[in-house]
Amino acid sequence: MQVNLLYRPAQSLAQCWLAPNESVTAESGAMVGMSTNVQMSTQSGGIMKGLKRMFGGESFFRNTFTASGGQGEVLFATPLPGDMAVLDVGYKQWCVQNSAFVACSPTVDVKTRASFGGMFSGAGLFILESQGQGQMIIGAFGALEQVVVDGSMVIDTGHLAAWESTLQYTVGKSGSGWITSWLSGEGLVCHFQGQGIVYMQSRNALEYGQAIGGMLPPRQQ
Amino acid sequence: MQQMIKHEPTFSMLQLSLAPGEVIVAEAGSMVARTSNLTMEVKMNAGRNAGFFGKMKAFFIALIRKMVGGETFFVNHFSSPQGGWVWLAPAMSGAVRHMPFQGNAMLFSAGAYLAHHGEIDLRMRWGGLRSIFAKEGAFFVEASGQGDLWVTSYGAIDEVYCNGSYIVDTGHIVGFDASLDFKIKSPGGGLMGFVASGEGLVCEFTGQGRILVQSRNTGSLVSWITPLLPG
Repeated sequence: MQVNLLYRPAQSLAQCWLAPNESVTAESGAMVGMSTNVQMSTQSGGIMKGLKRMFGGESFFRNTFTASGGQGEVLFATPLPGDMAVLDVGYKQWCVQNSAFVACSPTVDVKTRASFGGMFSGAGLFILESQGQGQMIIGAFGALEQVVVDGSMVIDTGHLAAWESTLQYTVGKSGSGWITSWLSGEGLVCHFQGQGIVYMQSRNALEYGQAIGGMLPPRQQ
Repeated sequence: MQQMIKHEPTFSMLQLSLAPGEVIVAEAGSMVARTSNLTMEVKMNAGRNAGFFGKMKAFFIALIRKMVGGETFFVNHFSSPQGGWVWLAPAMSGAVRHMPFQGNAMLFSAGAYLAHHGEIDLRMRWGGLRSIFAKEGAFFVEASGQGDLWVTSYGAIDEVYCNGSYIVDTGHIVGFDASLDFKIKSPGGGLMGFVASGEGLVCEFTGQGRILVQSRNTGSLVSWITPLLPG
């Protein structure tokens, strides 16, 4: 699969070229367009896997796009404006925040993992961990900024996009106590330890939603 | 202290590198990431050297700001004996701009404040009776002193030099020099101009000084989205 990222950083569009019979798996709803010889099949990969994904704030189903009888093209996009990146899976394995996942080669196995702190954060920190070999496309809300962790670092969970699985992480409060963490407005943060790369996104979807949502009139019941 | 602003103008982020012992004050909720040796202390948004009464006053002003300006009540103080860095970002898509202060004073719209460093005093200033009708709130934040301040916007920031007089829509004001006089009024004059022009209220500046203008306006975004929402 050859991936071209067009219109970065604000209006990214991932253009994937598939060789004959090659396929790509994507988050449902991510497809923008495709050539007519590309077949789409919808799979859950097993009920338990699908339920786990649903629990993680993703869709139950994932779509697989396969080029038949020649080369094919598929376009993918994210709902919010932002940058995209292609991660090489194999030599390095990646953890991805669920909302940042766009698509991957079918040879990449993506496992859903819930971080316990994520249940309370509202930031929905559900983590997808890659296994196998291939490529993975991620999409961010805002710009993607790469940070190299050497030792330790703290990131707001809402600004996390992806990180190397070699990094140790714990989700917790950002200040010294729960009250100060709540007052600080930072919600939950991710404490990283070790060596590796972290991709952060420059905007926080929840904060953005709250900023605009707070100005809207209340919903009529 | 060193600064770096990246991903302008839409997805701007600000990185501040702190020397040992330096303190950065930032709007609550604006932190993206930090080195883990930096401690974060939550404090009320009172001025420096504020005594008990100053703090009480700050509390009430913060309460009003929270209600009218949608601003946060608290600020976070970042510091470390070893130094470190912190990344900050605003909630909306927009720019980050560095404003150095050398004893001058500027007024900013509520919500424009992102962070500051050094001997800067922040005070609330009443925008006049008419500003109550402006969606953006009736208060400006007055910043003065010596140091650095970073402001954010919705959209790009344009700097206009007011030489004599200039008019800006209240929803598009980010900030302006305190040397300027301002008057909030309806653009066409009279009630008809206010209701029919669709321009809301404008701010008429007179004098000499800089005005920072933002290319987008949250009030307009909200009034565009609201009728489209399912009832």
